[in-house]
Amino acid sequence: MMSPIDLCVLSAAVLACLMVGSLHLRLNLWMYGATTMFIALATAMTAQAHAEISLIYIALLIAALKSAGIPLFLVWTSEKLNVHRDVGAMIPPPLAMHLSIGLFALSFILTRGLPAPEMEATGWYGAAAGISLLFTGLVVMLTRRLAIGQILGFLVIENGIYVFALTQTLGMPLLVEMGVLLDMLVGVMVSGLLVFKIQKSFEHIDVAQLTSLKE
Amino acid sequence: MEFFASLSAFPILGAVMAAGSSRIEQLRRLVIIIIWLQVIVAAFLCAPVLAGGAALVRFTPDFAVDRISASFLMLTNFVAACSLSHSPTFFRNEGLITGKTVPPEHERLFYASALLFVLAMNFVFVSDNLGLLWVSIEATTLFSAGLVYFSRDKHALEATWKYLMVCSVGIAFALLGTILIFAASQHGAVPGGSLNVRQLLGCAKQLEPKLLELGYIFCLLGYGTKAGIFPLHTWLPDAHSEAPAPASAMLSGALLNCALFAIWRVTELVRLTEHHAICETVPVFWGALTALAAGFFLVHQYGIKRLWAYSSIENVGIMLVAIGLGSPLLFFLQALNHSVAKVALFLLSGNIIQYYKTKDLSQIRGLLQVSPTCGILFAICAAAVTGMPPFGAFIAEWLILAKSADAMQGIAVGMLLIALAISFVAVSIHVSKILWGVPKHEVAQQETFSKYLIPSLLCLCTIILGLTALPLIMVKPI
Repeated sequence: MMSPIDLCVLSAAVLACLMVGSLHLRLNLWMYGATTMFIALATAMTAQAHAEISLIYIALLIAALKSAGIPLFLVWTSEKLNVHRDVGAMIPPPLAMHLSIGLFALSFILTRGLPAPEMEATGWYGAAAGISLLFTGLVVMLTRRLAIGQILGFLVIENGIYVFALTQTLGMPLLVEMGVLLDMLVGVMVSGLLVFKIQKSFEHIDVAQLTSLKE
Repeated sequence: MEFFASLSAFPILGAVMAAGSSRIEQLRRLVIIIIWLQVIVAAFLCAPVLAGGAALVRFTPDFAVDRISASFLMLTNFVAACSLSHSPTFFRNEGLITGKTVPPEHERLFYASALLFVLAMNFVFVSDNLGLLWVSIEATTLFSAGLVYFSRDKHALEATWKYLMVCSVGIAFALLGTILIFAASQHGAVPGGSLNVRQLLGCAKQLEPKLLELGYIFCLLGYGTKAGIFPLHTWLPDAHSEAPAPASAMLSGALLNCALFAIWRVTELVRLTEHHAICETVPVFWGALTALAAGFFLVHQYGIKRLWAYSSIENVGIMLVAIGLGSPLLFFLQALNHSVAKVALFLLSGNIIQYYKTKDLSQIRGLLQVSPTCGILFAICAAAVTGMPPFGAFIAEWLILAKSADAMQGIAVGMLLIALAISFVAVSIHVSKILWGVPKHEVAQQETFSKYLIPSLLCLCTIILGLTALPLIMVKPI
């Protein structure tokens, strides 16, 4: 039986796969926001199901910071730099999307062998959704050339890890979870600022072209 | 509360003052005072363990130091203090010798991020919780990005971007590993799960083996990226080469130890379970492979700081072998000897780059003629880093080889021996080319006492370390 929590995290995973199919930055970022909103919802439902008050705070923080704040910041960055589309690398977006859907299926097979979580949070579907998001994030990082696309890929990977933690362990201790969230926000801010500097020095933000240090 | 205040007061105070101060000369003096005060604070915190014989000092439920973390805490603060004490001289000379005056705001940002970076590294060693350990390690990446970005040119930007992205993604895998270990603890060992190191060590045998093993592999992969393990080392030479010399010294002498320490923490845990084979063979073999690969990379190098960056990767490999052998003593001994000599080398390389106005190895010739003091110190430190007797690194490497042979790790011993031989030859050739010959063009230099003060002190340390540790191999095997 699939619980509403499972449904939320699986929707997040599917939405992330669909995101890979478009190179339009703004659309990508809003889809990332929607993915994260599903995850915040799953967190809130887990909090209710297990009467874990600390998860409510985490859900609120995720909804406010990760699903609204970060996409807004990155959309603002891309507007400011006047870049709207990624160029794409390695494989074309439709193929990449199908690849991530294939990896979505693969993650079900991979997580089947994991011991069922002791806390009986959601179990198997949750783990599969988490691993699938992780794969999708890697696909995004490999198929994007622009710096913002790379940041997006990293954010999706982080979402995957968070979903895995939520469904397998009911989330980490509050202090650790806060620390992770803080690190991530600072990371996005720092790399966002760096994107501006890259634009200023190179007059583009195509990080695939930054190869002068290769030997 | 007193614990947090005492550990973070000086770095935060210093960072705030650095960001706000307008008088650069005062700031330079202030930073030196602050960082040495931090060394004293760390010594005070670690004293019960290092001098009093206590096995563990607990500050709060999630923060504690044991013998190995106390030793690393002291080493890290010492390395940071040496590097930051040298940096005012370095920045002054940057203006005097090369003519490119460092803008005061860049230098202020450098001190601010360096102090926060040191604080994050301090927290790596005092965290007694795998989750907080992860948070601290990620924080070191974020704060040190400001150091790599220092020169603000295209190369620096590229190196910083690569550093941020490769390390953040790598570290993300370590987070997954940490979560898996947390999940492993929920299966019967600790109700509700725990990330507390002591608690986990206490119930290691009850941890769910499959999740723990998976968690271990992901942690090794993640923290290994940060430590520069082959083939995940790609960010390391770029970041070390583009950062200013005092920052490179801290990256190599302190940051790599942090990542390796995180690997040690999880290895220590898995070692106590019945599935300990994984935490013996994997690190030993991977470490030896890293050392070997770095040895080959050392042969063809074009940048002076890239040379030392690859030499750091080689040492990371050797330390990983020590971790796999399960010997905290050998791990610390190798880290200590490497850090002391490597910091001196990076600081001296900074001076050399200022003399010759280039990082290109093929342009740097005749150092003994240009500056005999610098040349002699450089030769001593290079010899120490390659593991020549009577320096400390020789003893540590000898003991690691002996212990690997005892543990029947024949392949690893062979690989390590080849790696050490190749890197010794490669470094000797590069260094002898630097020392002798005739400078290719006019070299500007002014000899001042201050720029050799810290390197010569470190040189002295490495010789003392070698001579005092000599009885270790002559009296009894460890």
